[in-house]
Amino acid sequence: MRTIKFGAAVAAVLASSYAASAVADDDFLANDVRLGSYTVLYHSNANNLNGPYVPDGVNFTAENLETLYGAYVRWFTPNIDAELALGYPPLAKVKGSGPQTLGSVPYDGQVISSARWISPTLLLEYNFFSPNSPFRPYIGAGVNYTTFYDRDSTAAGNAASGGPTKISLTASVSAAFTAGLTYRLSDRWHLHGSFGFSQVKSHLTTNTDGIVRTSNISFAPTPIIISIGYSFGH
Amino acid sequence: MFKLFRLSAFALGAAYLAACGGSSSQTGAVSASTSPGTLSVTPPFRIASLDASAFQDELAASSTGAQLLELTGNPVCGVDFYYIRFWTVGGAGETTESSGALMVPTGAAPACSGPRPIVEYAHGTNSNKALNIADITNAANTEGVLIAAMFAAQGYIVVAPNYAGYDISTLGYHPFLDAAQQSGEMMDILTAARTALPTTMASATGDNGQLFLTGYSEGGHVAMATLRAMQAAGKTVTAAAPMSGPYALEAFGDTIFFGGVDIGSTEFAPLLVASYQHAYGNVDSTANPVFSSTYAGVETLLPSDTPIDTLFEEGLLPETALFDSTTPVVSIPGEAALSAELTALLGVPPTPGLPLGPQTPIFQLGFGNPYLVNNAFRVSYAEDAAANPDGAVPTAQAGVPLAAVKPTQGLRQDFYLNDLRSGWYPKVPTLLCGGQNDPTVFFKVNTEIMATYWSTLPPGAVTVLDVDPPTTPSGPFETLQVAFQASEAAELAYLQTPAGGGLSPTAAETQVIEGYHTAVAPFCAAGARAFFSQF
Repeated sequence: MRTIKFGAAVAAVLASSYAASAVADDDFLANDVRLGSYTVLYHSNANNLNGPYVPDGVNFTAENLETLYGAYVRWFTPNIDAELALGYPPLAKVKGSGPQTLGSVPYDGQVISSARWISPTLLLEYNFFSPNSPFRPYIGAGVNYTTFYDRDSTAAGNAASGGPTKISLTASVSAAFTAGLTYRLSDRWHLHGSFGFSQVKSHLTTNTDGIVRTSNISFAPTPIIISIGYSFGH
Repeated sequence: MFKLFRLSAFALGAAYLAACGGSSSQTGAVSASTSPGTLSVTPPFRIASLDASAFQDELAASSTGAQLLELTGNPVCGVDFYYIRFWTVGGAGETTESSGALMVPTGAAPACSGPRPIVEYAHGTNSNKALNIADITNAANTEGVLIAAMFAAQGYIVVAPNYAGYDISTLGYHPFLDAAQQSGEMMDILTAARTALPTTMASATGDNGQLFLTGYSEGGHVAMATLRAMQAAGKTVTAAAPMSGPYALEAFGDTIFFGGVDIGSTEFAPLLVASYQHAYGNVDSTANPVFSSTYAGVETLLPSDTPIDTLFEEGLLPETALFDSTTPVVSIPGEAALSAELTALLGVPPTPGLPLGPQTPIFQLGFGNPYLVNNAFRVSYAEDAAANPDGAVPTAQAGVPLAAVKPTQGLRQDFYLNDLRSGWYPKVPTLLCGGQNDPTVFFKVNTEIMATYWSTLPPGAVTVLDVDPPTTPSGPFETLQVAFQASEAAELAYLQTPAGGGLSPTAAETQVIEGYHTAVAPFCAAGARAFFSQF
């Protein structure tokens, strides 16, 4: 429910800006598609795992990753656009951190689980200068929705957890911010570089043969995006 | 506007699809069946996995662990500690889920993998509702550590129930000294453990078909009852070693009611009444309540999440006063002599029934005010014991049988029913281990009575091991006996040193006596292992 309300609010904001810009309708290409690389630095921070038979200090960290970036951008005015950004669902690896071993089972530094997540981000962006400028810096703000799937405990993770383990992570909705620079190659082609910031919070639950452990994980993914864009249509 | 809405809908749609994305991760399968012996969750949960050196290091890190290592020897195998949940039947026939341990030896040594024998162990009385003998990560789980070090780390697969009423059990009481229920639960966890074994992460270790039954204190009774039940069911048992158990329950009960009050009796009484009241409904009544009004409802107290010392401190349970220090005057119409005899017998020891002996001071601790058991209840028990006397207590008859005529008093009927002198004998080699001076489960009234009861069996069928013999130790268990007596002497001396608390000789001796029953356990377990290793 919360997600839908949030989405509706963003849509309303965008709609009002579109309505305002519609008055001064210039001849500009209203659509972009962008493709590039998406490097995510996680800066993850989790509470120690909590639950039965878990010694103190059992923690984990998410590994940084790179994946494919794709976005659709809709221009409302020569300066204002909305970007829907998506990364190709990356396989994020989670490593154990804390005790070297749990009993005699290796833990620290072991890849204990993996998950794919999809994290659509909807941003309202303001682009400085005119569309013909070679360089156009832009800034944006919006909303990020992150949800996890294909959550798998690895063999090492199962050994550390005590058996086959089901992992669930709650979805997160948060504000997202970006700042970037566009380099104009031609009327239709352009290069982009940007970095962003959002704060993802998720409640982690593992179930190993009915034994439930939990943690709260928060990470501040900092996506660094390099992409090439193509403009079309009106 | 339309385009925008579509865009927003796409974002939500993508999120929705992602949220519904299939998850391939799995956890254990929960059984739909609740029939006895069914493993609830497959594969079982592994609480911990220790290799031999890590286990040895953990033991060596504490002084009690280091002492235990001297008895068990260094671990040869690593041990995987699995927690198993299974279905069984409660004392009143309830379908109920219970839990326990499956300890599996691991490692490269020849004794640690391949087909291995199973030791099934029944634990002693525990007041802690949360008891989980599989939880090796809990420092309070000393019995779990003992069996892991003694058996699992030496190549035996260990199976041990927590018992209904403990841990995850929702039964609401523990079927304490209920031979039918407890032996049934032992067989059920064994079935579940054998189902679980091939599904564990220690799949290199399997069952070789040999089964050794053992247990301590309450668990000694359970182990012996399980041997009887498995024999009756035609199931294979290789050998058994019940240890320090209250086997001859009628004789033991009579001894206690006649004033030989054992240490721990105020803990055992509520457990026993709860158990038998649920199973048979014949113990407690408003006309003749077992417990004094001070402790009304005490039968629901144990096992408890509150430590028993706290229960004592809070006045919810008397520490030692089982009986009223103002002892009853028995008056049976037309039976003046019997009345006088019973009145004398029910006095505070020493009494004609229990003449002065080394344990008299312990027996005297069983009397006080406030007290747990009502005099009227005690008298009703004693009258039945006088009318239908046990064949071993107070006067030993040939063959030390149960009462010739079945008792009529409820509690005594239940003791009779759960007394293991029930016309059977072990068909496999059996070791009865205990300590002569045990103040908690009396050796003479239990171990010696069973040994006498079975004394007509061929030599070697039943072996008695007294780790604390009254004469100079000798024979096959001499080393163990010497070690036990040396350990007791060392403890007595230690308690009088500044490091041990600087107790007076009397206070030190009291503490050693109070700890005697527990102190015997690892020595008997070592005796049991030596005994099992012959087969």
